[in-house]
Amino acid sequence: MRIGRYRLRLEKRLTLTGVEATLISILAIVFALALFSLIFVLAGISPLVAYREIFSYAFASPYGLPLTLNRFIFLLFCTSAFIIPFRAGLWNIGMTGQLFFGALGAFGVLLAFGAKGSRSLDLPTGLVIPLMIGAAAVAGGMLGAIAGLLKGRMNTNEIVVTMLLNFIAYWLVAHMIKEGGPFMNPGGRGESFELPPSAYAPSIMGVSFTIFLALGVAVLLYFLFARTRLGYQIKAHGQSPAAAQYAGIGTVRISLLVFVLGGAIAGLAGYHYFAAVPGVYKISRNYGYFGDLAFYGIISGLISLGNPLAAIPVALLFGGLSIGGRLVQGKMQLGFGMDYALLGVLMITLVAFQFFYRHRIVWAKARERGRKR
Amino acid sequence: MGNSHMQKQLLEGIQRGDAVLEARGITKRFPGVVANEGIDFDIRAGEIHAVLGENGAGKTTLMNILFGLLQPDEGEIRMGGQRVEFKSPLDAIDLGIGMVHQHRKLVSAHSVIENIILGHPRARGILNLKQIEEELEELCARYGFNIDLHAKVWQLSEGEKQVVEILKALYRGAKLLILDEPSSALTPVETKKLLASITAMATDELAIVPFITHKLPIVLAISDRVTVLRGGKVTARFNTSHVTEKSLARRMVGRDVIFRTERADVEQGAPILEVEDLSAISDKGVLALKGVSFAIREGEIFGIAGISGNGQRELAEAIAGLRTAAGGRVILGGTEITRASVLERWNLGMGCIPCERLDMGIIGDFSLVDNVAMNYYFDEDFCERGVLDYAKLRALTERIISQFDIAAPSPDTKAKTLSGGNLQKLILARVLSRRPRLLVASLPTQGLDIGATEFVRNKLMEAKKDKAGILLISEDLDEVLSLSDRVAPIYEGEFMSILPGEKANREVVGAMMAGLRPEDGHNEDR
Repeated sequence: MRIGRYRLRLEKRLTLTGVEATLISILAIVFALALFSLIFVLAGISPLVAYREIFSYAFASPYGLPLTLNRFIFLLFCTSAFIIPFRAGLWNIGMTGQLFFGALGAFGVLLAFGAKGSRSLDLPTGLVIPLMIGAAAVAGGMLGAIAGLLKGRMNTNEIVVTMLLNFIAYWLVAHMIKEGGPFMNPGGRGESFELPPSAYAPSIMGVSFTIFLALGVAVLLYFLFARTRLGYQIKAHGQSPAAAQYAGIGTVRISLLVFVLGGAIAGLAGYHYFAAVPGVYKISRNYGYFGDLAFYGIISGLISLGNPLAAIPVALLFGGLSIGGRLVQGKMQLGFGMDYALLGVLMITLVAFQFFYRHRIVWAKARERGRKR
Repeated sequence: MGNSHMQKQLLEGIQRGDAVLEARGITKRFPGVVANEGIDFDIRAGEIHAVLGENGAGKTTLMNILFGLLQPDEGEIRMGGQRVEFKSPLDAIDLGIGMVHQHRKLVSAHSVIENIILGHPRARGILNLKQIEEELEELCARYGFNIDLHAKVWQLSEGEKQVVEILKALYRGAKLLILDEPSSALTPVETKKLLASITAMATDELAIVPFITHKLPIVLAISDRVTVLRGGKVTARFNTSHVTEKSLARRMVGRDVIFRTERADVEQGAPILEVEDLSAISDKGVLALKGVSFAIREGEIFGIAGISGNGQRELAEAIAGLRTAAGGRVILGGTEITRASVLERWNLGMGCIPCERLDMGIIGDFSLVDNVAMNYYFDEDFCERGVLDYAKLRALTERIISQFDIAAPSPDTKAKTLSGGNLQKLILARVLSRRPRLLVASLPTQGLDIGATEFVRNKLMEAKKDKAGILLISEDLDEVLSLSDRVAPIYEGEFMSILPGEKANREVVGAMMAGLRPEDGHNEDR
């Protein structure tokens, strides 16, 4: 393409540095926000005002920020849960089901110790919380194991299996918490019984302590993939199952392992949202909404190219925009679904801009002769 | 291309000796490399003009430019004296250029005739198969091709598939035929037939351009002229009658090349590998290896000669632990390993060079360090409490790069940026660096150029001197014969015989590879 005396050319990138990838992502975000301004303009609202509202509420307001952070924790767990199988070349679409199982596991512990219907618990807080976290991880991991085993042993498509397990988990939760279910709220409101206060997770200024857990998992995963033998095996399997087989890295073991690990981390997301976010402390009626939100883990995982640390800012952005977008939608009386539309535009733009991870545009002075195309 | 019929006339009525195609000053750059630089090349009707060069010399780029897959940055192509531009292979085909790919591009479930007419302009609407068949039979008769037009492609040998591709190009009206590595993967007999047909085609008005990497005798046997490429430039143009194998190789590699790796005399030790009645099932579910027995001693190279698909792959994989044996036993240094895992075998001193270099041996998106780690990640010396010692791995990789003279800018380079020859050196180096007692080498020099081939063969010899036992599986008969202490021709999953190296010659082994049993009392030596 020619512009004036310059020629634009598309070239393949041979390498991509972290700085370049970051710049491209930031460019994509700016582009997406600019694109979405159209919606605000059409609604007769200044985009600048709208974005200031969104960002200041999501990231700088004492009311919005804790909401953002709690959502960020949830998304980061989901992203990590996606990334582990992703690096092994496998697709975990089942964070939804795994986090539901995690929630059931955590509440199962309370049920086992007779917390249902009473406001007190015999066990000390310092014991019950680790138990709940452990149970959530085990339950999520168990659901993941089904997909991993089927994949490893019979080469069953893991996307289909995890997807279908989501439905099973969804209805299992419904069965457990609705009228007559073992987790049913004594008040019968279609939600689970509430946590006794002694099982409330510690929190700082409205943000659950699970933020340390989520960040810790991300850092650990980064180390796992950068330095360890297990991470090497997972990466090798993800890049080339044939080469992995040559090097004695078994498909069955890797498939099972990554889905158990991924499922366990998704289970933590379930613990976080239903048992650790201040003000929730129960499996709420709209639990399906958080199941849907888990799918943003896939998007963040893809945008960060499977890098567990790069996933942190991405998850934070999505968490903030979903909170800020919802606020602006109400405050400025925009149509329903505006927040989702914003996330959607952002998502598509980020994915589209990955084109520039692989290509670059080169400017050159048009001087050569005989190069007509 | 609307004006194709007018353009096709460019080559109508061309006479023997007229220039069919001229390329002038062809230059093609890719990011970081100049693949072709000012290449001049011409081809006349009735001529066989070989293009010779090592991997990375720019042959593939030139071939793709001539066939319209790539467009040159500079320079021009003329056909029948007129300048032409190929925007795609379709343009090139319309103008009378035919291409026979090294990796066949045929539909294996379809018959020969169906493959030939696939994409042919006449294959639209209603087919007159009978007429097409008659025309094809006439083509076959003219050039001495012997092929069943109704056979399914999957039933054909490599040589026959190549004939199908040639027929397809000819039937499409090719006046100029580009052959990519025409004789690789063919048996000696098939090669002979092919060369006869090529010569027959050239006595007509056809122009033929074989692109060849390493089979110099073929260049000498059939071509009229040869153009040698090195580093993207033309380094020599010869009339073939004026050259020898040595002088060609010198122009191609840039130095003198030894053609025969000397078989080193090494005192053989105890048997390191014993295979008893081993059988294995192929991916297609048929018994591909039907009970072979042999033993390899320390310091011995045991060569398997055979045409691909006769059970060699299954044999190598069953020994390497990549395929479950259907029966029989494998014993490595006294320990039975028939059911052992890959890592157990490696820890007992087995090393393996896989036949599918790029799929199995290398991970393209990994750095060289991570690729070397494939043979070391499990080694406790390189891994402490589950954390890999990357400093050590890096140092090892640097040592391998310098010792094996691998052309790579740094150990952190991604493997996919290296050439095939350098990747094969890398695999060989990391396997040999563990000083295996048994080396399973599948197709160790396939697709490599002369320089790299020589290097790999010398390294195998060094390993042999280092007392390793080597199982050498190769489709290059000359390689097996020149390196092996004993040779086992394999046919349909069975050894036809086991011959001592000095008694194994081309004729005897070639016949056995084609399925002829040795006569009674002939060199039986188990």
